Amino acid sequence: MSHEPVDVLIIGAGASGAAIAWSLLETRMRILCLEQGGHLPDRDFPSRREDYELARYAEFSCDPNVRRQPQDYPINSNDSCITPVNWNGVGGSTINFLGHWPRMRPSDFRTRTLDGVGEDWPLDYHTLAPFYDMNDANTGVSGLAGNPAYPEYKPPLPPIPIGKLGQTLAQGFNKLGWHWWPSDVAILSEDRDGRQKCVNAGTCDLGCAAGAKGGTNFTYWPILENAGVELRTRSRVREILVDQRTGLASGVLYHGADGQLHEQKAEMVVVACNGIGTPRLLLNSRSGLFPEGLANRSGMVGKNLMFHPLIGVTGVFDEPMLGHEGPMACSILSQEFYESDPSRGFVRGYGLHSGRSTTPMTYALGGYGIDDPIPWGAAHREIMDEIYPYLAGLTIVSEDLPEEENCVTLDPELTDSDGIPAPKITYRLGENTRRMLEHGEARASEVLRAAGARRILSKGDGKVWWRAGWHQMGTCRMGNDPERSVVNSWGRSHDVKNLFIVDGSIFVTAGAVNPTSTIQALALYVGDRIKTNIANLFD
Amino acid sequence: MQSDIELLTAILDQLIPANPDRAIPGAGQLGLASGLIEATEPTLASAIRALLSEVRAQPGEVSPRLVSRLEKDRPEDFRQLLSAVYMAYYSRPDMREKLGVGAHPVHPKGYPVDREPPELMKRLTAPVRARGPIYRDPTGGAA
Ligand SMILES: Cc1cc2nc3c(=O)[nH]c(=O)nc-3n(C[C@H](O)[C@H](O)[C@H](O)COP(=O)(O)OP(=O)(O)OC[C@H]3O[C@@H](n4cnc5c(N)ncnc54)[C@H](O)[C@@H]3O)c2cc1C
Ligand code: SF4
Repeated sequence: MSHEPVDVLIIGAGASGAAIAWSLLETRMRILCLEQGGHLPDRDFPSRREDYELARYAEFSCDPNVRRQPQDYPINSNDSCITPVNWNGVGGSTINFLGHWPRMRPSDFRTRTLDGVGEDWPLDYHTLAPFYDMNDANTGVSGLAGNPAYPEYKPPLPPIPIGKLGQTLAQGFNKLGWHWWPSDVAILSEDRDGRQKCVNAGTCDLGCAAGAKGGTNFTYWPILENAGVELRTRSRVREILVDQRTGLASGVLYHGADGQLHEQKAEMVVVACNGIGTPRLLLNSRSGLFPEGLANRSGMVGKNLMFHPLIGVTGVFDEPMLGHEGPMACSILSQEFYESDPSRGFVRGYGLHSGRSTTPMTYALGGYGIDDPIPWGAAHREIMDEIYPYLAGLTIVSEDLPEEENCVTLDPELTDSDGIPAPKITYRLGENTRRMLEHGEARASEVLRAAGARRILSKGDGKVWWRAGWHQMGTCRMGNDPERSVVNSWGRSHDVKNLFIVDGSIFVTAGAVNPTSTIQALALYVGDRIKTNIANLFD
Repeated sequence: MQSDIELLTAILDQLIPANPDRAIPGAGQLGLASGLIEATEPTLASAIRALLSEVRAQPGEVSPRLVSRLEKDRPEDFRQLLSAVYMAYYSRPDMREKLGVGAHPVHPKGYPVDREPPELMKRLTAPVRARGPIYRDPTGGAA
């Protein structure tokens, strides 16, 4: 393997790393991606096995602290009510993500101006819109055009079925006069580019062996590797190096598949390690010039960690809801309570997501992302026979506000298998979010009743789902002010002119929608800016 | 004296009881005890050992009351066993089928689900569309 210097070194082969590599392909620069995990062939996905559900609690758990595979790094979440979840390998967390694909809305980019909270983004929805479209086409997104919750756009493929569950809930929303719409999903409703359309098996978190789900293992990476992008797997970056004379990034030190530490030089470094991995890597990259961590003169690296805290409410209906038939993510999405309304006692808002049912084992163990088994004994029999098949649920997915105390730091003791300090999460639920979730719980119960639920099951203990740290945002945010942000309006570090960040850590605020369509649109946008500014990129 | 397997079988039938009307066996009847007794995962193995010796120390048959007491007295061990039983029971495709959710066919198979006809979607979304845009757009065009 050659360690010749490369033009572009991307760290992380997940959603954002793949998207920016694709954007930069046309420059004909030499691109190398270092990824700590491996390629997982789809024949090895648990979704092909009869006992597939067991993998969800072992080697295919979304929680790296449960999985503990050699490519994973542990995360100390003892000081958090939510633990981050992910996948480390080619495709990144799009291997086990669920493919729910809503865009952020125009107001999400202006929360300070509109609602006096968070910060405004240094770009707006309309700047990103063409990149959302481009990425939707590359990914294969299914949905219904004409959603009145957004400026006009058209998903490239027709919607996947919303099913009996979606139709039932839609009628409830209609009765109350509330917004709902079939969810956009990064899931094929038609065969495309050698990928099979969704077969509705409902095992999306266990790898989609049909290839219907738009993980970058199926979308971008095959194109990139064919085009000559070098993907070096089992290569974990320990530290980004800086030329102490010029202040520019000169390359990285990484632990290779051979177990040795290597140096790789590069003209430009792009970090795409997600909202936890990226601040961890920067904080681990200390030098004389950057004693507090690379690109951290603002002190904002690791700060303002945002998730989308969520809780669920379930209705029991008279007829089976067939919620197990179809992808796990969202059937329909209501954004009735998305925009601020001061009379509700909180600012910003939330979405009501109708996820489909989990499989029997996961339901019995407490639900997806929860460790709280249902009762045993006669009650168990009754729940599984009389309730489980009749369920339709809504999750309240809330907008988290940026707070500096919610952060990623380095754990003083915990390390990964290469001895690199692991991240520590400090996170508590903000009061605004708490009120939002309470409001959402009441509204979800109301609409489930309107849809015909005979009974509502709601824990009502105010506890958010533990393994719901799917979306990790804000920890290296973008902005125009170098004192208050880590990267500028096109992802370039304020402090290190040849260092770019493209994952969810650059989000300024979180919106109340799943982030990956925005993460990838941003990565394509950053790629576009790099191409436009190529002549004086490092000025 | 009952063997470990017999005793555990009786406990399992309390945890997930049978539903004879629908020919659904209990977890004990399904024969899960032997696999659990052989569990090599240390926390689970020691939880099962502790629970069995606790049951042996109690007078009488395994009953819901006795199992409730186990849950109260040894909550961590009990939880370990309960999770393991739920996993072993519901990972069986034949059990999933009996719950009315089909056998959950694995990839590349799945469930045939028809896309809703466009007219149905049009009718369902009509009231939503009729109310018009619901977003705020501070930077581009009024809504
Ligand atoms: C179970 C689950 C369900 C989800 N569902 C949805 C959904 O429905 N919709 C949605 O929008 N989002 C969903 N998400 C979130 C989505 O997967 C992420 O937003 C997205 O993948 C983030 O992209 P990324 O490029 O920032 O990071 P990732 O895709 O996580 O990729 C980061 C990559 O960097 C690598 N890496 C990290 N550190 C290093 C290092 N030091 N050296 C080398 N490599 C490194 C990692 O191994 C990883 O492969 C879900 C996530 C999970 C886990
Ligand atoms: S339900 Fe559809 S998207 Fe989900 S894993 Fe199966 S084929 Fe893929």
